[in-house]
Amino acid sequence: MSDEPAPISPADVAAVAPAPRIVAREVEFRYGDTPALEDISLEIPERRVTAFIGPSGCGKSTLLRCFNRMNDLVPGARVTRGTIHVGGEEIHSPTVDPVELRRRVGMVFQKSNPFAKSIFENVAYGLRLVGKPDRDELAGKVEAALRGAALWEEVKDRLDQSANGLSGGQQQRLCIARAIAVRPEILLMDEPCSALDPIAAAKVEDLILQLKQDFTIVAVTHNMQQATRISDLTAFFYLGKLIESGPTTKLFSNPAQRETEDYISGRFG
Amino acid sequence: MSQQSPHIIRDFDDAMQALREEVLRMASQTRLNLERAFRALSTRDLDLCKAVIADDNDVDEMERNVDAAGMDILVRFHPVASDLRLVISSMKVVTNLERISDHAVNIAKRAKKMVNRNEVPETKLLEPLSQMATSMLADALTAYADRNAELGGSLFARDKELDRQHKRVVRGLSQLLEEGGPEAEAYLHLIFVARSFERVGDLAVNIGEDAVFLDLARDIRYGHDGESEK
Repeated sequence: MSDEPAPISPADVAAVAPAPRIVAREVEFRYGDTPALEDISLEIPERRVTAFIGPSGCGKSTLLRCFNRMNDLVPGARVTRGTIHVGGEEIHSPTVDPVELRRRVGMVFQKSNPFAKSIFENVAYGLRLVGKPDRDELAGKVEAALRGAALWEEVKDRLDQSANGLSGGQQQRLCIARAIAVRPEILLMDEPCSALDPIAAAKVEDLILQLKQDFTIVAVTHNMQQATRISDLTAFFYLGKLIESGPTTKLFSNPAQRETEDYISGRFG
Repeated sequence: MSQQSPHIIRDFDDAMQALREEVLRMASQTRLNLERAFRALSTRDLDLCKAVIADDNDVDEMERNVDAAGMDILVRFHPVASDLRLVISSMKVVTNLERISDHAVNIAKRAKKMVNRNEVPETKLLEPLSQMATSMLADALTAYADRNAELGGSLFARDKELDRQHKRVVRGLSQLLEEGGPEAEAYLHLIFVARSFERVGDLAVNIGEDAVFLDLARDIRYGHDGESEK
């Protein structure tokens, strides 16, 4: 018998992954002259949680931000090769409106960033940008989003109060409510729990597991245990390359690549 | 086994090393107990019988130590991949070792009873069983220590041969037992000793399976004859 573990096969992925919602093919990305991503090919399945792991500077957040063209806002940053399809559409096509793309592909950041407005207005803000809902319709959608973010019961009696009065964990769930209010297809999360205490983080993790019934979720995390708890698939990045991706349980119990094993077991020095 | 670089957290390496060493220490004591049990039977050595029975307490203690060390590593370091497999397989290996040591005690207890009776030449019939079981145990432990899946997976076939030898010996002893006579009780003891060696073979196969899991993350239990390997 060989002592090499069997590589993760397409059948392994198919067992946990339905059709892909995001398809990246041979993506290369640069910040000015500095390459940040090399030859990334990856499929993100629909209504599953995919975790991106890897050491700082490996490119995982850069790739995440490519999926809704957030990197367009960084001077000199650009995809220099390859394609990224979201829902079958190449997102760099001239016909794609980046603002509409970011509605379809929402984002939650590491540090919660509520607007200096009321709790209600934080969630209503995006809804007003994408339409002109009447008062009752708006109230219904805000409530639905807050319920979806598991925050409604905690804030229903103080919707007109400032969002800044919420705890860190509540603010992060408010940002998730704001993101899902406009009914995106995909939610990108960049270290969504890193600034939260364990209880608040557990609530957000529980929320992520509920949200995957309706949304495709991609989450960057440095927390290995969090990746194993919340994700169906995990992708490991190192030095701008995708080293390995596959079902989370398999990747954490029997990774195919030596670099993956060294990283997840704490041997990278 | 491929050489792995050390963990960034040195305590993690120290804890894993301590776990592995305790398993190997227990393995060494268990092998010794099994070999001494048959030697006590063959040489009718009452003191050796008592030593095997007494030393089983040490084996029990080592099993508890390994379980506690494994739990400690799981809680403190959250091991994954081959580290996780080492912790899980170590905790399973020591369960099998503890049972093997119990069989050594069973053999020693039978030997103790036989010391007070006439010597029977049929004791020699058990020598091949003892050799096969002891050799299988040694190889199973080598497979674990070296993460050698090939050696670990080879034990199942050898256990089939041990089973065949066991049946042959028990058939012969049963015939003598049915004939009755003053040595009937001794033959009954030998049948139980033969049964213990047969069980040691089964437990060595279990350890071999744990070694395959440790090396390749493959679960070959119940899958030796068919396609049920995961």
